[in-house]
Amino acid sequence: MNIRNIFFQFKEGLYKTRIEFANKLGYLFSNSKDKSDFLEKLEELLILSDLGTSATAEIVDEFQQMNFREYKENNFIFFKEKLKAILIDILNSNAPDIKLNEDRLNIIMLVGVNGSGKTSVAGKIAYRLKNINKDIIMVPADTFRAAAIEQLKILADKVGAEMINTKEGADPASVVYDGISAARARKKNIVIIDTAGRLHTKTNLMNELEKIKRVIQKEANNYSLEILQTIDATMGQNAIAQAKSFNKSLGITGIALTKMDGTSKGGIVIAIKKELDIPVKLISCGEKLNNLYDFKADKFVEALLD
Amino acid sequence: MFANLTDKFQTIFKKIKNKGKLNENDIKNCLHEIRIALLEADVNYKVVKEFINSLHEKMQQEKISESLTPAQQIIKIVNGEITLILGSKQNDLTVSPAPPTIIMLVGLQGTGKTTTTVKLANYCRKKGYSPLLIATDIYRPAAIEQLQVLGEKSDLPVFSIGKNESAVNIVKAAISYSSKKNYDVLIIDTAGRLHIDDKLMNELQEIDENIPLREKLLIVDAMAGQDAVNSAKVFCDKIKVSGIILTKLDGDTRGGVALSLKKVLGIPIKFIGIGEKVDNFEPFHPERMASRILGMGDVLTLIEKVETAYNRDELKKLDKKMKDHNFDLNDFYLQLKKMKDIGSVDQIMDMVPGFNNLKNRIDVTKLGDREGELKKIEAIISSMTVEERENPSIINGSRRKRISRGSGTQLPEINKLLKQFYQIKGMFKKGAKLKNLSFN
Repeated sequence: MNIRNIFFQFKEGLYKTRIEFANKLGYLFSNSKDKSDFLEKLEELLILSDLGTSATAEIVDEFQQMNFREYKENNFIFFKEKLKAILIDILNSNAPDIKLNEDRLNIIMLVGVNGSGKTSVAGKIAYRLKNINKDIIMVPADTFRAAAIEQLKILADKVGAEMINTKEGADPASVVYDGISAARARKKNIVIIDTAGRLHTKTNLMNELEKIKRVIQKEANNYSLEILQTIDATMGQNAIAQAKSFNKSLGITGIALTKMDGTSKGGIVIAIKKELDIPVKLISCGEKLNNLYDFKADKFVEALLD
Repeated sequence: MFANLTDKFQTIFKKIKNKGKLNENDIKNCLHEIRIALLEADVNYKVVKEFINSLHEKMQQEKISESLTPAQQIIKIVNGEITLILGSKQNDLTVSPAPPTIIMLVGLQGTGKTTTTVKLANYCRKKGYSPLLIATDIYRPAAIEQLQVLGEKSDLPVFSIGKNESAVNIVKAAISYSSKKNYDVLIIDTAGRLHIDDKLMNELQEIDENIPLREKLLIVDAMAGQDAVNSAKVFCDKIKVSGIILTKLDGDTRGGVALSLKKVLGIPIKFIGIGEKVDNFEPFHPERMASRILGMGDVLTLIEKVETAYNRDELKKLDKKMKDHNFDLNDFYLQLKKMKDIGSVDQIMDMVPGFNNLKNRIDVTKLGDREGELKKIEAIISSMTVEERENPSIINGSRRKRISRGSGTQLPEINKLLKQFYQIKGMFKKGAKLKNLSFN
């Protein structure tokens, strides 16, 4: 079963972002005095979308290579298509989709910095899977933040999923161990692990995550592990350092881009994909349980530019 | 790769340091680097543009000084400009003439409002006030419980009447409750919300219109990107925000958002959050932030913190030991314990220039953080003879074996400890030198 097929409404959710971006883009292409003016406005647009200086410089450079007359004649459509192609090319990935395998244990673990939306995304993924009648065990491995377990419990109850019991201060790795044993004992083949938010610079907390991964590797046999990092769309360039560090510790299989219902562009995922080749797999766009969507590069870019 | 803006500036200035005079070309190169550094620090594009323009003007006007090197001169100008934006004075909370002082915390989701509510209350209590926390996040699952648990842990009272009352009614009830109980500072924790969510923004306006709020503080994640200015602007338009609290500054974020917000909104940044513990919270010092951005490190904050943890005599002794290279394992253990009291080793190292690089090379972060690790170190060190502690270089293979048996630890652990000791010893030497760095 392919999760991708069931996340389809994403473009609609991006409506607000799209309008704002499109307006700016229209302004950009129709109001430039000359080539250097155009390039400067393009730079501004990309930087303001949080693409960062190096990705921006490379994209601007591609336009720089073109001759100016081409710009005059073809104007809006040509450049928009060109920009779209460049961005899609960066975002496209050969990484496999999130797959559920009936014949093995499917473990989905959420990691990320504080406040990036891990628990909400865990609830949303559970909701999606519950909707197609999957049996899930939820694992509250955030035993640090006050009431994080309760928060996940409320979401699990809403969704109708089972959650492993634990209490604040418990060792997260042992909660995960319990989750995997429970899944095995109860013959459930999906485990969703919510972990505590942590800044990527805290060595001891990153070690704790590595320990959780080791427990999974040791305890689960015949399993597939999806480690999703939540990245808040309002984040700036520090998200690259976040992704780099989490990836180094754990090997991130994908990004869940959250909070896309605001006015932030989430362009940081373009910089992350470019620099670290970590694909975006999910987009969270709204506070409702069903506001989790499949990520498709062409749709994402189209939604930004159309 | 540059760890932060600080390092970047240092690299830029190192480039110029070697040249005799500053010409237009140097200025251009320098401005280019500063511009990229600021953009990478997430300072808003438009703010950077203005900043660079005014910097350029200042640099051209500046006469070549006889007493300063070009690098020093540029640092002076950039420092002046950044300080000009960030403001020169520190802004504390304002207090109502007649109690209670009512403070409301607002912001986007996940910026750290609930954590900050407790930290701020703890800060007020330290100043002699009697704070009451008010839970009005009736939307996010378990948000009220989170505040209750955090309050309980820090022994701070939390007012809550559940999720079925409107936020404004909860606050009203809290006010009448507080008058009976003599609470004089009320801190309202609100739900995280999007600035474009009209329904929830109206909720804030309703509280603002019905409750005499003394402070309306916007909580901003220090890792925020370009859009932070836009969302903050909407909050300011709707409820006239009186101050900003920057959170999550304990990571490696360059925190350029501080510059953008102050420049665009003109609202003072009042506090910063620098860790997950309740007292990882301090007033924002504009001049220190500027010097931190410029690579001078936040030496002032460090000194203040160190001073509270050490008394003067101890400090003098340690200083002398470092100078005389007498820093031994006894001191090493004492320092680790102290650092744990001050905060994490991470935090201390972040504040001193040049230490950031060392931090990446040496895994000292583990040392101060873990109770267990500290116990192990204690066991190892107490299994050493006085002579060994004072002069670790004599610890040879057979001594190591004896220490290992005595402390119940493994040989590699002893080797690791000794290695870390030598690294830290080296670092202290460097640190002592760096502290004396002066740009003027």
